[in-house]
Amino acid sequence: MIMISSILKKVRFQKMMKQSEKQDSKNGKEDEQTENVIKGNLEEDIGTLRSILGDSSDLIIRKFIFGKHIEAAIIYIDGLIDKTLVNENIMKPLMYINNLESGELPKSIDIDYVKSELLFVGSIDGKNSINEIVFKIVSGDTIFLMDGEKEALVISLLGWKTRGIEEPKTESVVRGPREGFTETMRFNTAMLRRKIKNPDLRFETLTIGERTKTDVCIAYIKGLTDPKLIEEIRQRLMRIKTDAILESGYIEQYIEDSPFSIFPTIANSEKPDKVAAKMLEGRAAILVDGTPFVLTVPMLFIESFQSSEDYYSRPYFSSMIRILRVIAFFLSILAPAAYVALSTFHQELIPTPLLLSMAAAHEGVPFPSAVEAGVMLVFFEILREAGVRLPRPIGQAVSIVGALVIGESAVSAGIIGAPMVIVVAITAVSSFAVPPQTDSGAIIRFVLLILAGFMGGFGIAIGLFALFIHMAKLRSFGTPYLLPLAPLDKSGLKDTLVRTSIWSLRKRPLGMSLDDIRQEGSLKPSLSKDDVNVPEGN
Amino acid sequence: MMIKNRFFKAVICILLLICLSGCWNSRELNALGIVMGIGVDRPDGPEKVKVTAQIVKAGEMAAAESAGGGSKGKAYWNVVNTGNSIFSTLRDMTNESSRKLFFPHNRVLIFGREVAEEGIADHLDFFFRDAETRLNILFFIAEDTAEEIFDVKCELEKVPSESIAKMIDVQAEAASQTMSVKLSDLKFRIMSKTFSPVAPIIETYGSGEEKGVNITGTAVFKKDKMIGRLDKTEGRGLLWVLGKVQSGIIEIKSPENHLVGMEIIRARGEFSPELKDGKVKVKVKIFEEGNLGEQEGPEDLSHPEQIKFLEKQKAEEIKKEVMAAVKKAQELNADIFGFGEAVHKKYPKEWKVMEDKWDEIFPDIEVDVSVETYIRLMGRINKPSIPE
Repeated sequence: MIMISSILKKVRFQKMMKQSEKQDSKNGKEDEQTENVIKGNLEEDIGTLRSILGDSSDLIIRKFIFGKHIEAAIIYIDGLIDKTLVNENIMKPLMYINNLESGELPKSIDIDYVKSELLFVGSIDGKNSINEIVFKIVSGDTIFLMDGEKEALVISLLGWKTRGIEEPKTESVVRGPREGFTETMRFNTAMLRRKIKNPDLRFETLTIGERTKTDVCIAYIKGLTDPKLIEEIRQRLMRIKTDAILESGYIEQYIEDSPFSIFPTIANSEKPDKVAAKMLEGRAAILVDGTPFVLTVPMLFIESFQSSEDYYSRPYFSSMIRILRVIAFFLSILAPAAYVALSTFHQELIPTPLLLSMAAAHEGVPFPSAVEAGVMLVFFEILREAGVRLPRPIGQAVSIVGALVIGESAVSAGIIGAPMVIVVAITAVSSFAVPPQTDSGAIIRFVLLILAGFMGGFGIAIGLFALFIHMAKLRSFGTPYLLPLAPLDKSGLKDTLVRTSIWSLRKRPLGMSLDDIRQEGSLKPSLSKDDVNVPEGN
Repeated sequence: MMIKNRFFKAVICILLLICLSGCWNSRELNALGIVMGIGVDRPDGPEKVKVTAQIVKAGEMAAAESAGGGSKGKAYWNVVNTGNSIFSTLRDMTNESSRKLFFPHNRVLIFGREVAEEGIADHLDFFFRDAETRLNILFFIAEDTAEEIFDVKCELEKVPSESIAKMIDVQAEAASQTMSVKLSDLKFRIMSKTFSPVAPIIETYGSGEEKGVNITGTAVFKKDKMIGRLDKTEGRGLLWVLGKVQSGIIEIKSPENHLVGMEIIRARGEFSPELKDGKVKVKVKIFEEGNLGEQEGPEDLSHPEQIKFLEKQKAEEIKKEVMAAVKKAQELNADIFGFGEAVHKKYPKEWKVMEDKWDEIFPDIEVDVSVETYIRLMGRINKPSIPE
């Protein structure tokens, strides 16, 4: 199956390359033909813009006269601009010159004069392409048109209602910064900039989506991140010729290495500190306007087990938690399969007292263990899905009913054995311990369960082998998915299953950055010799 | 389009493959008759063996647990069947049982005395060979019949087999008077020409509903036939030599002839044979450490001289136990200690000649026992509670 998918991928890729070549050449021609510019006649230009933008009720075109006789207009989308700023900084200064004595007036008022001397705005730009102007209008900029001028001013006075910076719901922490990214990309870049105050921090913005024109931004630290990685990301992003990008998940699916794999090869986070830390390890981040979820590439499998808090708390506890997460992951994919394999194929491996109580629980259960486990797992997934989507008060009701029905009634009615409920509960709880792999874990769990139901331990072994082979083959933007375990990187192991002290983590993760050394030598804390504060006279 | 077809074809093939594999050897827990004990007796009829299999009723066990032990039915079911071989007799039990017998959790194998005296080798082959049985099954000889033992009342456990299996382990740990023999030990001894197998003997007492079971001694085999038995003292003598004493109480006399009970805390035992002028001499070295556990009378035993005296007494007692076992073994002419194997290891060349004559050599072997003992602690009180 893996082989087939890789062949498919190759063929698809070739097709795509051909298509994109064709499209590129077509687009070039179209651009030349449809190039529209500002004519200099206010009425005509407004007419052109109106014909493109239509009669949308949120389009505001405000015509006015300033400098006694000059006709002008500002055009903007209501709700996307800050009205106070527009009034104060555009309308007011323009109207104000009406009150000036004629001696104080310049001889001719042209667009350059307006731009350089009248408007109280920082971000201002002259444009004359209609297409560009239309795009600017819908992006939230204010357009200033002046009769007789072949240039329009694009004034950026954005101001729309946004959600404030809140604690991310998906990644809450006990210790560490509580701010999370928001839906506005500019805030997000600012948050990263506040974490990394470095001239080398670069943001490269592209616009993707024929209709949505979504801003997508590649963030990286120049000199740390491999330029080849940036180039690769750029290439992959530019290949996306679609009409809508609404969430970073769209981008993720367009640019991931193995679209048929069940494992995610692109990580995401809502936390600026986490993204900043990953960028400082030499990764690149992809910010998408309209979503707080920021992608980071390349992703290693082991990242799923790392949490930002691991680095904020001391090494012993965080190492223990890491190991627990790994155990939880394996429990979540293996527990039901192992239970079914043991209880239907390998009863001799179960200690006698345990076997007896398992047998007692299974006495009178009408279904085979594999079916029992499958039904319970499906029921759990339904319960989870129902709980996630529903508003909290109803969600609670669902979980109470679910817990009662599965946990109590099914067992006492003799439909499900009690050990199976325990196994499924363990599985369910463990699957949440490793959030990035919850989705892939659910699928692996079902596949392994089917294999165990048919072939017992042998089936599980086959399943795990296939899984490991697949994972060893996976790449995320050229980086092996199982790094630093396979291929083995000894210095990387310091931050894998255990997290050694921060001061001992000299190197950045292998193969990801240009500058591998994070800090020179070991920075083990010690008393400085001149400054030993020993209280005297004791 | 073609590729898409191929992809789906492959997926369908793989899915079908899963169906083809079926569920070979898959058995649900409620289709298993979990056997916890097997007994072999001599039948009254013309057949060769009578086999008792003790099957656990898992449901009853859980019921007994939740009802606080006050369940009505027994938690086990004994299936008895006769036949010409163990394997066929066990398989024939499917005529009687709704579930196929499942052997990996078998804890005990009990042979009735009559069968044991006739020879056990033929009956053991199944247990050594079959994939479902294990070599850590505990082996016993029943003074009367095995069948009877599987139906005794056990106060603390729910299934007699389990009770017996736990009993021998506890006994070996705390009293060390009979050996707990696993099938693997038995196999090792039975494969040797000179090494005599031993096995704990269990006996029932009382009658009817109140019938109980206890361990009374050690059976001694010559080749595969039971020829005699060791009592508890001789049993511990055997364990001293083999170095398998874990704990136990030794009763000795104080200088003023009061009874003193010594607890064995640590013990080691080893022996080495020596060939001199064609005669075998075995040196047994025993090291023992223990505490004073109980004393009678008002004597103060905490003085160094007293302790020295007690240590000497204890050494004498251990030596007596060992010599009793040696004497019994030589009387029965059964090499239960494995002296022959030791000679084999140390003098492989000479052994070739001696092996066939071992029956003549063994009764006359001189055994020299040296015992080193220490008394380490006196317990919570040093002097007795009764004043002089």
